[in-house]
Amino acid sequence: MKDFFQKVNSYVKEAFGASKYLFDGISVTFDHLKRRPVTVQYPYEKLIPSERYRGRIHYEFDKCIACEVCVRVCPINLPVVDWVMNKETKKKELRNYSIDFGACIFCGNCVEYCPTNCLSMTEEYELATFDRHNLNYDNVALGRLPTNVTSDPTVKSLKELTYLPKGVMDPHDVSPSDSRVGKLPEEVLDWMITSKSSEEVPVGK
Amino acid sequence: MTNGLDLEFSFNEALKSFGVPSEIAHIIWLPFPMLIVLVAAVVGVLVTVWLERKISAAAQQRIGPEYAGALGVLQPIADGLKLLVKEDIIPEKADSILFTAGPILVLVPVILSWLIVPFGQNLLISNVGVGIFLWIALSSIQPIGLLMSGYASNNKYSLLGGLRAAAQSISYEIPLALSVLAIVMMTNSLSTVDIVEQQSGAGILSWNIWRQPIGFVIFWICALAECERLPFDLPEAEEELVAGYQTEYAGMKFALFYLGSYINLILSALLVSVLYLGGWGFPIPVETISRILNIPIDTSLVQVITATLGIVMTILKAYLLVFIAILLRWTTPRVRIDQLLDLGWKFLLPISLANLLLTAGLKLALPKFFGG
Repeated sequence: MKDFFQKVNSYVKEAFGASKYLFDGISVTFDHLKRRPVTVQYPYEKLIPSERYRGRIHYEFDKCIACEVCVRVCPINLPVVDWVMNKETKKKELRNYSIDFGACIFCGNCVEYCPTNCLSMTEEYELATFDRHNLNYDNVALGRLPTNVTSDPTVKSLKELTYLPKGVMDPHDVSPSDSRVGKLPEEVLDWMITSKSSEEVPVGK
Repeated sequence: MTNGLDLEFSFNEALKSFGVPSEIAHIIWLPFPMLIVLVAAVVGVLVTVWLERKISAAAQQRIGPEYAGALGVLQPIADGLKLLVKEDIIPEKADSILFTAGPILVLVPVILSWLIVPFGQNLLISNVGVGIFLWIALSSIQPIGLLMSGYASNNKYSLLGGLRAAAQSISYEIPLALSVLAIVMMTNSLSTVDIVEQQSGAGILSWNIWRQPIGFVIFWICALAECERLPFDLPEAEEELVAGYQTEYAGMKFALFYLGSYINLILSALLVSVLYLGGWGFPIPVETISRILNIPIDTSLVQVITATLGIVMTILKAYLLVFIAILLRWTTPRVRIDQLLDLGWKFLLPISLANLLLTAGLKLALPKFFGG
């Protein structure tokens, strides 16, 4: 009989434990109801990509020396560098340059290794086309300046989470002039100069 | 108890004054409450779908439907219209008769069960003597429809979903019926009107939830299982069974399933509020309020206000429960089929039996509080 009651006791305890966990769970869900949505209503609102965003690659034809370093560092040898040797000047003459963004993984190796800095990454990410062949950008398409979210009057541009002031979670109430949390690199430099000069240590040593 | 507002009586009296015999007056009256309840059920579904989407969105820090009407209130109508004009597909290898009969057999008993939901003293279609028992009987027709559509689809997912739905409905019907039985024992009646009246003595204090807390929890768990709501939605578990018995359905037939599941949810919430939360009763009894304010309860204005208050209270309580169901949906993980059957047969069934026994004992020991 005692054994039976012990069993019933543990059974009841288990049931109460389970309902306690359920209640804890529900209180978490309920707490989430009070939080504001984090939705960015995409075609009408867009996030401003971060400075290091790896979007569509920009290319400057005139700077390119057709060294093909970009092809060698590319994981799949993607850039097509179309050049001919000019016998008279004994120089490479660049005719065409293209990258197929249908195959590009936007790793940025080409940008990293380009000796003349003629490649750069932009903040452009809306590359959708109706035909995948349209993703094969030639040097003209690659040379176009990226579209900018902030300059589009039909779009409300929103700052990303790391660019918001301290304690702010919702980009909707932030004005563009509000500074982000923490110090910008220039500000860090200023701070270092002032703090070091107060210790009378020469700058740049 | 006063008789409250009796629209049928007044309607019949009015027709009689025009010289219409009472039988014909009754026949003329009949379609009105049916139509009203049907419309109420459909509107209730639209509201519930909207609430579900909005509350789900809020729980996940989303916005939810936004552009169809103010705050997206027209979204469920847009969804319904879309399903209405979609092509009605019957798979080539499916059994077309069973395939068509399945969704109908799921929806009809659910709508029929609204027969016994009271919104006020005389505000229900029919105060049948078997009342709550009729609902239990009707709800056991549903698994047949689910099995039918699962089998007729000629699809492994559908068949598994249908079998699971049937197993779930059948095993959760028993604790459900037993917890209802405890209430019936306290009331000495199966009629839903009597059940509410039994709870209306002292307002919120006399609600059955205080006398039947275990029964309340069991009933709510079983009702969720009957509605295939989230902790128990394994018949249509999309991760494993695509959409269970609904896999092959599209267009209007799918809409019938969808409508059925939501009407069932509202119905369950309404019945919980009727059985355990005092139905149309206000937390403070209306009689007490009228006595304090010194207004006779028989005046027609008070009657209308009381009736309106009753409807509002019933719906409010039901939607509170729907809200809890939606919160539960985003809180609890789905149970496995073995866990589901374990919970049903090894936990809820013995507990509901013990609850019934306890109620019987208390009824004998304290007949004053447990309806001797």
